[in-house]
Amino acid sequence: MMSYNKFKILRLFVVIVAGFLAAWAAYNGYAWIPAPALIAAIIILLLFRRGLREITVDERTFSIAYKASRVAFVAFGVGAVAIGATLLALGQSGQPELKPVGFTLCYSICALVIIYSVAYSVYNRKFGGQA
Amino acid sequence: MAKARIGNRIRRLRFERGEMTQEELAARAGCTRQTIIALEQGKYVPSIELAFKIARTFGVTLEDVFQYEE
Repeated sequence: MMSYNKFKILRLFVVIVAGFLAAWAAYNGYAWIPAPALIAAIIILLLFRRGLREITVDERTFSIAYKASRVAFVAFGVGAVAIGATLLALGQSGQPELKPVGFTLCYSICALVIIYSVAYSVYNRKFGGQA
Repeated sequence: MAKARIGNRIRRLRFERGEMTQEELAARAGCTRQTIIALEQGKYVPSIELAFKIARTFGVTLEDVFQYEE
């Protein structure tokens, strides 16, 4: 069994190694390395977490994560739409190289809203709401 | 409308049970020590499930631990 402090050190180490590997692979053009490296890091961290002797995640953690994700969702949504729309407008007025970035930001928000809607619908049904 | 608040006697109950540590209570109730600290400071209101687990850990009823204050 492992203490939480030891787990935190190991978690930091695994994240640094995985991040370094992914960055190194991206820089050198090894497209097959980043995804397996990140998946391996997630699996290793899950295995380490199983070995913990104390509880590290509970309902309060989920409550905090819920509130933090709400803030992140709204902040990213509003920010990306504002920046994306600005870049698209600049792209229309003589800087066409900004258009793809603007489209990427705007479409990413569309994707995020679709994923949110699907997830909301699924959880609404799970917790007894009407479809 | 007056703001409702859920108070609790966790700290007192811990000391009445032979100075039970926060860590021990957390382990027995199935939550983190941080949650026990937040509860004692009145910064977090637990779910019904956790409230029952804490009450059972102390061997008392829910209302012996948590009070609804208006």
